[in-house]
Amino acid sequence: MKLIEALETLRCPVADAAPEFNVSLACGISPLHLQTFLAAELRKRLPENRVVVRPGFYGDLLGNIQRLNASAMNSLALVIEWADFDPRLGIRTLAGWRPMELPNIVESATQMAGRLQNAIREIAQFLPVIVCLPTLPLPPMFSTKRAHAGQCESQLLYLAASLANDLARVPGVRLLSVQTLADISPFSCRYDIKSELATGFPYTLSHASAIGDLLSRLIAESSPKKGLITDLDDTLWAGVLGEDGVDGISWELDRHTQMHGVFQHFLSSLAGAGVLVGVASKNDPANVERAFERSDLYLTKNDIYPLEVHWSPKSNSVRRILETWNVSADSVVFVDDSSMELAEVKAVFPELECMLFPRGDDQAIWQFLRNLRDLFGKSVVTEDDALRLRSIRDADAWRAMAQSPAASLDEFLKAAEAVITFEPVLADASAREFELINKTNQFNLNGRRLIQSEWRALFNDPDAFVLSVSYKDKFGPLGKVMVVAGKAKGQSLILDSWVLSCRAFSRRIEHRCLSYLFETFSANQVTFEFSPTPKNAPVQELLTQILGRPPEPGATLTREQFETKVPPLFQRVEGKIHAST
Amino acid sequence: MPQLEDRLIRCFASVFPGYTQEEIVEMGENSHGAWDSLSAVTVAAVVQEEFNVEIDPAVLPQLDSFQMYRKYLSRTSSTLE
Repeated sequence: MKLIEALETLRCPVADAAPEFNVSLACGISPLHLQTFLAAELRKRLPENRVVVRPGFYGDLLGNIQRLNASAMNSLALVIEWADFDPRLGIRTLAGWRPMELPNIVESATQMAGRLQNAIREIAQFLPVIVCLPTLPLPPMFSTKRAHAGQCESQLLYLAASLANDLARVPGVRLLSVQTLADISPFSCRYDIKSELATGFPYTLSHASAIGDLLSRLIAESSPKKGLITDLDDTLWAGVLGEDGVDGISWELDRHTQMHGVFQHFLSSLAGAGVLVGVASKNDPANVERAFERSDLYLTKNDIYPLEVHWSPKSNSVRRILETWNVSADSVVFVDDSSMELAEVKAVFPELECMLFPRGDDQAIWQFLRNLRDLFGKSVVTEDDALRLRSIRDADAWRAMAQSPAASLDEFLKAAEAVITFEPVLADASAREFELINKTNQFNLNGRRLIQSEWRALFNDPDAFVLSVSYKDKFGPLGKVMVVAGKAKGQSLILDSWVLSCRAFSRRIEHRCLSYLFETFSANQVTFEFSPTPKNAPVQELLTQILGRPPEPGATLTREQFETKVPPLFQRVEGKIHAST
Repeated sequence: MPQLEDRLIRCFASVFPGYTQEEIVEMGENSHGAWDSLSAVTVAAVVQEEFNVEIDPAVLPQLDSFQMYRKYLSRTSSTLE
């Protein structure tokens, strides 16, 4: 983005009622154009918000963090440069670079790094912190030639790497990737020495733009895609199964088809992180069955569900896979080496991300995988992610049962030996719950998304409760599938957020949850902060069933009403912990 | 030359929103608070990027109005691309 574009973006009017999104930009340099670029990128990513980027005081990075009023901010962007560790690592303070002084500079930089780390740990308890570690070259202060990284230079680089290693483990902290930054802002094009001397702003405009872009991506992260549907021939492997045979398809160095193996590795990694992987292939099912028996395949059948292998149009396969996964097309990527197949699928599912697998072009495949990483990347991989695929397989059986007559469904639910566990959510261990709230579309009371600061504020409200609900039965665990958050006022409950993973539909978990809430809080009524959304039909159906009428915002359900409408519940309840504990 | 002036007006308009074209061409240090040190630095950065010129920091204090920028740029051949 050019500076004039950033300024013009910021001049676009925002609706009067738009909620503020406040970001603190803490840096030791003059924030100047970085503030402009960051605000403009955030405006593009958060068009419904009034974005405000507030800088701190020039030259006082640590103080800017320590003085921050976290409750007034949605996020903190922290930009650290070498001179923030010790002013002698910059050029605006001239205090000696003699070789005998360098160990002292390293020592004081190390101490400052420790202080910064403590301050970041402290503030990260209250709001998300995005950290950009030094991006500029060290000054020519070392006695070795530029090509030679001597001891002190290496110590300083180690200091930054060590700080990155420590901060990457702190919940709530996200580090800006130095490798991605180098992609878009070459090292030699970053430093504007004239600007640094004239104004204290050391970045070229292109570098400031790149940092603003990446910071905004981490502050306003887009939701990761949930599933990937891949073709097989000339995509998952090189060759055409029907023509080359099971032994003729390949993914190996000797046959110059290694990048297909890399793609398999990549998909295996996605599956391990909870991404749903399915196959849509025009092929002979028996051949595919034999191909998946090859022991050298890096992606096993266990990683894939379902496999749609037949000669029907691929849009039919995609439709069935979406139904099986119970996810919407806009959260899925379809990969195929044929532009024609991609076009056919795209025509039926315009919201689906359709990507051409660039077979035969290894460099393009490399870039293709990097693009996929951006589509599926997420900050935290939870234990529940590993359960997702298996529970989807089991869900097919559940779906069939859900369409059975009531009596046989009751028998099935009873025989499932289900156990439901309710637990109060702790602010520091709530990654899965936060993710569920923010990605669930169908069983979602109002579609409301929470930012970290809003989420953390729930835990500071003495009337508020946040419960997570885990489910398991004789078929295996589904993990944490539901989150309910609200307030208890006397014998009334107000539910602000209520989400249930689509993997766990048809098990009457939502009914059990209401039963649990009435009982545990000795409540006589529950008010739902309901809003209809284009996707939350399942929650509308539930509320219609138990209220006896279509729900409206603020609909209230009495205990008496609930008890007359609730179907038989067979789950055993564990972890009966009152929310106030 | 009109093209240069139009481009320069766009630069100034991005830094000084809400001003008419007539006000912008009259803009300078005497523009009742609109022209401060921050806006002066921002105008310089926008102009350098848009016109692909590097303004000598020693010259910068003299560029204290729209008209001074117009004169400066009209003397810089690379802006007539």
